[in-house]
Parts: sequence; C-alpha cells; structure tokens
Amino acid sequence: MSRRNSPPLRSSGINTIQLNAAREMHARTVRARRMPIPTSGITAPSILPTATTTATNTVLPAMPARHICNNPNNPPCVHCGSVIIPSPQATLPLEDNPSITINDWTISSRKKPILNSQELDLWENEKLKGLTLPEMIFGNNYIRIENPKLDWSIEFNALDALRNVQLQDSGIRVAYSSDWINSKRRQNSANAAQRYANDVSDDSLNIIHKYDWTYTTRYRGTENPPASRFRLDNDQTLPLDKLAVHDKILFYDDMILFEDELADNGISILNVKIRVMNERLLLLSRFFLRVDDVLVRVYDTRLYVEFDENKVIRESKEFEGKYQDVLAKHRLSQSHDPKAALRDSSWVAQNTPMVKRECEIIEF
Amino acid sequence: MTDLDKIIASLREGKHIPEETVFKLCLNSQELLMNEGNVTHVDTPVTICGDIHGQLHDLLTLFEKSGGVEKTRYIFLGDFVDRGFYSLESFLLLLCYKLRYPDRITLIRGNHETRQITKVYGFYDEVVRKYGSSNVWRYCCEVFDYLSLGAIINNSIFCVHGGLSPDMTTVDEIRTIDRKQEVPHEGAMCDLLWSDPEDVDTWSLSPRGAGFLFGKREVDQFLEKNGVELIARAHQLVMEGYKEMFDGGLVTVWSAPNYCYRCGNVAAVLKIDDDLNREYTIFEAVQAQNEVGNAIIPTKKSQMDYFL
Repeated sequence: MSRRNSPPLRSSGINTIQLNAAREMHARTVRARRMPIPTSGITAPSILPTATTTATNTVLPAMPARHICNNPNNPPCVHCGSVIIPSPQATLPLEDNPSITINDWTISSRKKPILNSQELDLWENEKLKGLTLPEMIFGNNYIRIENPKLDWSIEFNALDALRNVQLQDSGIRVAYSSDWINSKRRQNSANAAQRYANDVSDDSLNIIHKYDWTYTTRYRGTENPPASRFRLDNDQTLPLDKLAVHDKILFYDDMILFEDELADNGISILNVKIRVMNERLLLLSRFFLRVDDVLVRVYDTRLYVEFDENKVIRESKEFEGKYQDVLAKHRLSQSHDPKAALRDSSWVAQNTPMVKRECEIIEF
Repeated sequence: MTDLDKIIASLREGKHIPEETVFKLCLNSQELLMNEGNVTHVDTPVTICGDIHGQLHDLLTLFEKSGGVEKTRYIFLGDFVDRGFYSLESFLLLLCYKLRYPDRITLIRGNHETRQITKVYGFYDEVVRKYGSSNVWRYCCEVFDYLSLGAIINNSIFCVHGGLSPDMTTVDEIRTIDRKQEVPHEGAMCDLLWSDPEDVDTWSLSPRGAGFLFGKREVDQFLEKNGVELIARAHQLVMEGYKEMFDGGLVTVWSAPNYCYRCGNVAAVLKIDDDLNREYTIFEAVQAQNEVGNAIIPTKKSQMDYFL
C-alpha cells in the first residue's frame, strides 16, 4: 500500500515530553519576567528607618496602586503587590495574553506563532482575496485598548492592516527589474529566430496578478464601534514633555504583525509596541519598507491616551525617500556601516523627509 | 579519531575553528564538488532537507531525528546560511560531513549561497564578528560557486532549491549550465534558485518586476517531459514544515523550526524509501535556554524602552 500523501506523522494525543517542555517553558518565562526584588527596602522602612532605607524610598516612590492586573497567575508587582507583568498562562499551545486595567481603560495584548496553512488558506481565499500574502503573518497577535464605559476600543492586528494593502500595481519594481525583463526578451527573440520551441511568450513578462507587493499599509488601528470617533485636528501635538518623563512602565509589549523580505530585495514589516504608565499610554505602530537600491518608507502611527482626562490623540506621519538619497545622508554622518543604518527603521525615519502628517483627537 | 572527526566534534559544540582550517576545508570541498554534475544522481533511501539558515542546534536535532549521517543519506536543498546566529558552523558542519561521507550528503545551492545576498542577510556580518576579517566569508563563497543546482533521486524525483525555469524544461538542459559562478540576476540558473509555485495558469512575472511564478500546468509538463513524479523544493517558509501542492506533484520542505527564532513554526524532512513512498518527520526548535537558564541561542529579547 502506498503511503504517499499520507497525513503528517504526529501522534494524536499530547505526549508527556511536550507537556513537560511546555511546563518548563512557562516556568522559565515567568522566572525571567519576575522583577528583581530588592534584598532590603520596601518592607524595611517601617521597621528600621535608617539612612539606607530612606535612599531606597527615594528610588522607589510610593505608587498609587490604582491599576489592576487581569492575569492572576502572574508574578506580583514589587511596588503594589498586584500583578502587572505580562506573563503567559500554562496552556497548550502556549498562550501569552497579558492585560492591565487603569480607571476604565483596559489594555491587553496577545502573541502567537505565525499563521498555519489552514489559516493562510482561509485568509488568502476569503478574507484577503486577491493578495499574495506576506511570508510571515502573526495573524493572531494584537494590542487592544478598550474603555467599555465610553463604549470605545481600538485594536491593532495584521488582518485589518493587510486589508489596507492596495490590490493594484504599486508601480514599484526591484532595482534590477529592467535588466531581468530585457534579458528574457532577448532570450525570447533569439529562441524565435532559431524556431526553437519555447514555453514562454512575451505575455509571460506581463504582471498578471496585480497587488502591492511592498505591502504598504496606512493602517491606523481598528476602532469598535466601526464609525470613527476621531476628529481631524492637525494643530494638535503629542505632549512630548509628559511622554519624555520616565514614569514607571507598568505594561509593555512589542510585536510584529507581519513581515516579508521581498524575496531578499529588502524588507516590509509592520511592528506595534506599547508602554503603559500610571497616567498615560503611548502606542507606536510602524510600517517600515526598504526596497534595496530603490526607496525607503516609514509610516508611523502614534496613539496616546491620557487616562484621567479620557483624551485620545492619534498622530500619523509618512516618511519617504529614494534609497540613494538616504544612503548619502548616512555618508555625511561618517559612520562606517551604511547598510546597518538602512536596516534601522528609527534611523531611516529620522533621516528621510516627512511627506505627510495628520493628527486626530477624541475627547469623550 | 581523524582530524575531520575532531573538527566535526568542535563544530557540533559551536566552537571556534581556526581560519587556516576553514581554508583547507573549503579547498578540499571545492575539489570534491567540482566533479559533481549540475544535477547529481542520488539513490534511495534518502532524506530531503529544506532551508537551515544558520540554526546549528536545530540542524543537530534534524540529524538526530532522522537517523544521522552514519546511517542515512541526505540531500540538503540549500540556504544553509544567513539569518541564524550560526551560519558558519552550520555550513562547515555540512561540508565536513560531505568530506567525511561523500556519498551520504548532497548539497544543492540556494539563493542565499551567493556573495550579494550573504552581505545583506547576516552571514558576512557573522564572519567579520567571529574572525575580525572577511577572509573566511570569501573562502565559503568560493565553495558556493561549486555547489550543484539540483539532484535527481532514482530518476523519479527532481530536487531544486526554488523551482522551475521557462528556459530549461528538461533535466538534461539544466546539466548544460555553466554553474561555477556567482548566481546571475537573470537566466535559468537564477530561476532555479528563486522562482516560486503559485496558483497561476501559466508562467507569469512576479509583481516585483523580476522572477517567475509557475503553476500546476508547468509542473505537470515538467513531470511528464522528464518522466519524474515529484519536484521537491524548499525556499518558502511553511508553518507545518512541509506543503504539498498541485495534486502532490510538488512539495515544499522547510527545515528551520521557529525560523528567525520567532516564527513558532515546526520543521520537516522528507524521507523517500526504495518504493518512492514519502514519509515526513516533523521536529521542533531547541529551547532558547538550558535547564539552568543559560542561553543556548543568544536571542534578542525586547527591552522595555521609553520610545517616543
């Protein structure tokens, strides 16, 4: 009997080794995320008010413990005893779904592996019909900010970001495209001259399947309810003075939503990260595109929430430049590794002209 | 224990190999590879492996799960280097095995086994970091130029890194390519290492403006014209480690678990037995830390920062 096309040889149940591995991995993750607890301090001041403990007190000012962590299995916060540090739950497959609540604002995130073939088929054939999907999609990841009392939430996820990708020719070509096409044309005419049977007509040199292969997305998050509450107000700015203060970060996450290496012609990546402090949060969603020897693009969306005022600001900036121009700026700066700088989206954003800025606010 | 066995033992532990040793290994490998055709003949039983991308520890798992080179014959479909932290050790280990057991290992060139790509995607940087100069990278690139472009198992299964080329529709035509060069940006050699299967009706240009996409029709024609029943290729990440397409006429094999140390995918190798039956072995990535919490793989941990 032929076993060709047989299903993968995986046991139907979960074997003990995997289970133990999962437990170990969970324990390690929790350990790694546990804050180093000062050997003396915190509990000591009331008992022994010495000079050293006073010093400790200035390092760790009393924190109003108004935040609630929604992950009871996580290690506790050294400052207030409640649980704030993102930590996975002991489930199979491993799940990492931390969450924190301040006032009526709840911030949560989820990290999972890339989509499997079944999910990819569903996305390609139904959800995102017409798009050849990027190589890596972290389609089950998200960062969500919600306020049930105000009946408003915003989420950043890969599916909605990819829905924003244009299903038409972007006009962008890799650097050696014309050389490549011309060599094929020459080959075709040589073949024709020799009356040599060839499978490829000039038609094959047309792009049949049209979509933006750079996966450029102007995604700014998914609101719920879908009718946007944002109001355009370009005079608004983010309060950089407040954000520059190093308030204790209570919740932090950083994740990729999708990534494609453009068949080794550069990179297209959408990354989103968030930091939540006692009074405010800042989220940065960054789309970064580099087509080697052609162009660079950085599309940033920053979302800021001031909890006590229920104020939300969303600022979007678009940077774009020719690869060679940005590279030339690097030469002026005289550091030694230009290619490394062009792999660093922050450096690129700082050294590429801004072509557009928009600011929106919600005041509930 | 021969010198080669000692080097193999060092490589398996990820230890530093002196530059002169690498030079000799590369020279000997070139001599060996020079005599191979563009498309090597391989007998069953054989295990087909996809992209490795410098994930040395996972490569060791691969050997462990699939029988080991002492007992099993292997074909590696290319992309040994770039992206992982141990490109050099992974590639040298495969070369050492090739020198030690020449008839057990076939190495096919991937699109990453080129000077241009390794300069951008990590291998070059890794060598400069480990040796303070790029000499070792140059020695390896010389070997890349001699790697074969494909393999054929029992005249029935065609193995290649990327896919098909419209310029070469038979295996015999592929044998006529002058392969001993840097992979050009165009032409059949480039297509074999770069093209991708997709749901297209005919050869079509990738929207990137270079590179071909081929569909079921092209695969069926190639199979019939060459009297083979399967095209085994790598080149594309698959969450499940392998993916069969076009009614089983083509398979993608992917052998780098948890690709780039963050994708969470499993890896697979495909064993072909004497009756050409296919058997997939799935394996997972090694843990990033050992049981006492020391890093095995120096993963980049995201640091909390006050980004603005």
